[in-house]
Amino acid sequence: MLRTRKIAIIGLLVGIGLIMHIVEGMIPMAAIIPGAKLGLANIVNLIGLVLFGFAGGLQVLLLRILLGSLIIGTFLTYNFYLSLAGGLLGYLLMSLFYYRFHYRFSLIGISVIGAVFHNLGQITVAYFIIANIGIYYYLPYLILLAVPTGIGVGLVSMFTINYLPEEVVNSA
Amino acid sequence: MQRLLKYLTLYDKILIVSLIIVNVFFILFPLYHVYTGNQDEVGKGYIVIRNNGKVEKKIPVARTFREDPLLIEVEGRIGTSIIEAINGEVRLKEAPPEDPQKICEKTGWISRPGPSIICVPNQISITIEAGEDGLDGVSW
Repeated sequence: MLRTRKIAIIGLLVGIGLIMHIVEGMIPMAAIIPGAKLGLANIVNLIGLVLFGFAGGLQVLLLRILLGSLIIGTFLTYNFYLSLAGGLLGYLLMSLFYYRFHYRFSLIGISVIGAVFHNLGQITVAYFIIANIGIYYYLPYLILLAVPTGIGVGLVSMFTINYLPEEVVNSA
Repeated sequence: MQRLLKYLTLYDKILIVSLIIVNVFFILFPLYHVYTGNQDEVGKGYIVIRNNGKVEKKIPVARTFREDPLLIEVEGRIGTSIIEAINGEVRLKEAPPEDPQKICEKTGWISRPGPSIICVPNQISITIEAGEDGLDGVSW
């Protein structure tokens, strides 16, 4: 029963993440800074991490990136590798901080860390693709924008988890 | 805003403020270098002088940034060519009098990899080679 519930909730989170992944593409953040995104999909990773621990959040992340790239049509292209690297690095650092420094950082801080390292991972892969160290000059602009979006994502995750029914939170 | 501050813990605030400060610094720091005209990129290459197909001299471009021009005399097939290099630019200043058309003199200054000065009668060529095999641009 619990296992079924877990699978269903992870499926729901992946579905919400996919919608956010696509809605995010419609918001023209790139007009401000090219390549910048809101990182809305990080909300579901964070919720998955809080509800189901490291493995659950990782499932949500990988499924969301895989299915999202298949839907948009960027599977195994540069975009896919960029988002995979960014997502993995951001998620690893988020879970590290979540388990190690849970009593110090709120979900907002953890989400900011995730957003920052998401950008770091993406830029690093972009560096391997275009083989030009100058791409790192771009990192501060992205991180500066990642701070407010990270705060927003953290707030949304925090409110969502507070409003979730007791049995969903405890089902993990 | 008040409510947001209520949710943030002390460490959150430290993290966010330090991130903003560090990144503003890293944005401004390279710009400072741009505006003060730091020419790191210039002067990494080499001036390569070939005589009869063989590399006769290879001079770092950085060595040409000085008060007086660097004059190099090269003994070619029909006479002596005088090459002048200063501030990252190089030209063939004086071709030997036996050179009928002196096309190499008329080529003028070169300062980038790509163009070359060639003196056919004297069999001397001058090119600038990039110090690192940098890419002009990448696109896909």
